[in-house]
Amino acid sequence: MRVVEDGTLSKRVKVSSGKIGGLSDDTSVGEQGSCSLSGSMAPLLASEDDKVVGSNGVISKVEFVRIITEALYSLGYSKIGAHLEEESGIPLHSNLVLTFVQQILDGQWDESVTTLHQIDLMDENIIKLASFAILEQKFFELLDGEEEMDALKTLRTQIIPLRVNCDRAPELSYFIVCPSQISLDKTHSQESRLSSRKKLLGELRKLLPPTVIIPENRLVCLVEQALDLQKDNCRFHNSVGEMSLLVDHQCGKDKIPYQTVQILKEHYGEVWFLKFSHNGRYLASSSCDSRVIIWVVNVDGHVIMRHRLTGHRQPVSYISWSPEDDQILTCGDDKTVRRWDIDSGECLCVYEKQNLGLVSCGWAADGKSIFTGVTDKSISMWDLKGKEVESWKGQRTHCMADLGITSDGKELITLCKENVVLLFGWETESERFIEENQTITSFALSEDGKLLLVSLWDGDIHLWDIDGCMEWIGEYNGHTRSRLLVRSCFGGLEQAFIASGSENSKVYIWHRASMELVFSLSGHSGAVNCVSWNPANPHMLASASDDHTIRIWGLKRVNSKSNGTLEKV
Amino acid sequence: MDADPPQFGNIDVNESDIHTIVLSYLVHNCFKDTLESFVSCTGMKQPVDHMQDMEKRKRIYHFALDGNASKAIEMTEEFAPGLLEENKDLHFDLLSLHFVELVSSHKTQEALLFAQCQLTDFGKEQKYVKKLEDFMALLAYDEPEKSPMFHLLSSDHRQHVAESLNRAILAHTKLPSYSAMERLIQQTTVVRQCLSQELGKDGHKPFSLKDFLKS
Repeated sequence: MRVVEDGTLSKRVKVSSGKIGGLSDDTSVGEQGSCSLSGSMAPLLASEDDKVVGSNGVISKVEFVRIITEALYSLGYSKIGAHLEEESGIPLHSNLVLTFVQQILDGQWDESVTTLHQIDLMDENIIKLASFAILEQKFFELLDGEEEMDALKTLRTQIIPLRVNCDRAPELSYFIVCPSQISLDKTHSQESRLSSRKKLLGELRKLLPPTVIIPENRLVCLVEQALDLQKDNCRFHNSVGEMSLLVDHQCGKDKIPYQTVQILKEHYGEVWFLKFSHNGRYLASSSCDSRVIIWVVNVDGHVIMRHRLTGHRQPVSYISWSPEDDQILTCGDDKTVRRWDIDSGECLCVYEKQNLGLVSCGWAADGKSIFTGVTDKSISMWDLKGKEVESWKGQRTHCMADLGITSDGKELITLCKENVVLLFGWETESERFIEENQTITSFALSEDGKLLLVSLWDGDIHLWDIDGCMEWIGEYNGHTRSRLLVRSCFGGLEQAFIASGSENSKVYIWHRASMELVFSLSGHSGAVNCVSWNPANPHMLASASDDHTIRIWGLKRVNSKSNGTLEKV
Repeated sequence: MDADPPQFGNIDVNESDIHTIVLSYLVHNCFKDTLESFVSCTGMKQPVDHMQDMEKRKRIYHFALDGNASKAIEMTEEFAPGLLEENKDLHFDLLSLHFVELVSSHKTQEALLFAQCQLTDFGKEQKYVKKLEDFMALLAYDEPEKSPMFHLLSSDHRQHVAESLNRAILAHTKLPSYSAMERLIQQTTVVRQCLSQELGKDGHKPFSLKDFLKS
C-alpha cells in the first residue's frame, strides 16, 4: 500500500466561519493540493492504459471517476472521495478551481475574479458573466455594510465596464439610494452572508463549463435519466414510488384498474355521464331520469351516495366541476344550465336565455364566471348570479354538449361544425381549428390542457397535441360505436392511459404513448356511455352504462357475485 | 399647399381677433417688452398685473432652462404656492433636474445625499420607480454623457421641463396653458388629417406650416 506523504487526505476546504453546512456536508469540490495533473501521478491499481470504461467504448474513464468522486463528496463521504482522488490520480478539480471556490466563500472578490481569468477553457462571455455575478455579490455585501461610496465605486469601475447585463445598471444604482428595496429584489433575500455566498457558488457552478467544475450531483442526474427512459418504455406503469436500480424497470398489468370493486345502482335510468372532481374526492353522474347524483369517494376507496339533485326536467348529458370542486354545472336536453353546491346539494342558480337554449357549459379558470354554448351557435359568458356578461356570435358552437377550457383559462374548446373543433381565445377572439374528416361525437381534454382526445363517428379516437401548434399524434381503436354517444378520457399516472366506453358494454383501456390496447373490461350489461378516471387515484376508474349502473374499477378483488372479469388482450 | 382656395376670400377676419392671438402668444412666452410696444401700437387694453406676473414667470422659466432647478422651485413656491404639491410629476421632474446638475458637476456625494433625502420618497409609488432607476443610473457611469441615459442631461429635456412648468403656472393663475396661436395650428393640422382620412388619396395633403409660410 502506498505511503501517504502528509496528512492531506484529511484536509477539507476551509471556511472562515467554520464547517460548511448547507448544500452538502462539504462542498463537493475536492481537496486542496493533494494531487495535480501535472505533478507526479499516483500509481494506479487498475490498468493505466484504459482510457474508456464499459463495453461500448463511449465513457471516458477520467470523467467517470470524476463524477463518482463528486457523488461521494455530495453524499458526505469526503474521506473516501479524497482517497479516490489520490488512488486514481484523477483529481476532481484543478488547484485553480479549488482556490477560486475558497476565495468566493471567503469573500475575496477581486482575487477570485483574477483567478477566474487564469482558468483555462473558458470563453470571454462566460468570464464576463461570472465576473458580473461575483462583483454583484461584492456590491450587495458593501451596501449591506453601509459602505455606499465603495459600492458605487465597484459599480462604476468594475461592473459597468464589463458591458454585460446592462439593464441591471439602473436597478443597482437605485439600490444605493434606496437599500430597503433590496429585500424585494428577486435575486436576493434575507439570508446569512455565508449562505448567500454558497448560493453564488451554486450559480457560478451552473455558469462555468462542466469540464471546469463538475455539475453538482451529475451521477445522480445520469441515473435519473436512465430511470426516466425505463419508465417511458414501461407500458403499464401506473404507480408512484421508488424504482430499483438493480433490475430494469417493467411493470405488470396489475397496477391498472381491471377488476370491478363496486357497483353503484342508485340511478333509475341509463347513466349517460360521469366525472370525478379535480381532487378525486367526489364523483358526479347523470342519468336519463333527469337526476344527477353526487357521490363521495372515501379514503378507503369506497364510493357512497351523498346527494341526489333534482331540478332538470329532462336528461342531463354533461356535468362540469368548478376549479375548486365546490360546485358543479349541469346541462342537458331541457336546454338550461344549473349550478349546484356540492356540500348542501342545493341548486344555486338556473341559467336560461330567452327564446334560446343552452347546450353546453364550462367554468372559467377563476371560478367566477361560466361559459355556455347556445342553440344559435354563439357562446355566452355569465356571472355567478345568472346574468349574461358577454356573448360571442357567429359559428362558435354546434349542437353538442361539450365545452372545454384550456388549463390557462384562455381558450374555450367547442365544436363549431360537425367535424371541426374550435379553440376560441375568448379575450382576444383568436381562433384555432382542428379539422377531422368525419363527424366528431365528443372530445376530452387532458388535465394539463395540452392534449385533446377527439371521438369520431366511426368509432376511432384521435389524439391531438394542442399546445402550440396543433398536431395529430395518434389513433386508438378496438372499441365499437355506431349509434350512441360514447365518451373517452385520459387517466392514470401522468395521464399515461386512455379509456373509453363502448357500445358492446365493455370498457377499453389503451397505453397512450404506444397506442397499445391494454385491457377490455367486461361486466356491464349495456353500452358503456362514459368513463372517468380518478385524477387523484390512478388505480380507480368509473364507468357509466345503459344498464343503469356505474361500475368502479380498481385493483382489489371483490367478493360479490356479479364480479367483473377481465379479458386479456 | 394648394394656391389660395377661392373660399378664403369670403371669410372676414376681425382685426382685433388677430391682435388677441398675437397678444396671447406674447403673454404665454413672457415677451414683456414686445408686449408693451405692441399694446401701445395697437391701442389695446392690457391689465397691469399681467406684466409683473410675466416677469416672474420669465425668470422661473429661464432658471429651469438653465438647470438651476432649486431657484426655479423656490420662486415657484413663492409665486404659486401649492402648485408643486398638486403636480407631483412636475415636482419630480424639477427635483431630478437638480440631481442631474449635481451629477454633471461631479458632486457625487452631494447627489447621493440629495437623492436619498428628496427623491426616494417618490419611489413609494410604482410609476416613479422606473424613472428613478434611470436617473440613478447616471451615477453608475464615470461619464454620464456616454451612458444610455444621456438624454436626461440634454437641454431638450430641460426645455421640456421648463415648458411644463410654465404651463402649470399659467393654469394655476387661471390663464390658458396653451397660446391661441399654438391651438390654431394644432386645430388646422387635425382638421386636415381628418379630411384626408375620410377622402383618402383624393383629399388634401396634411397641413404643413412650413409650406404654408412659403406660399
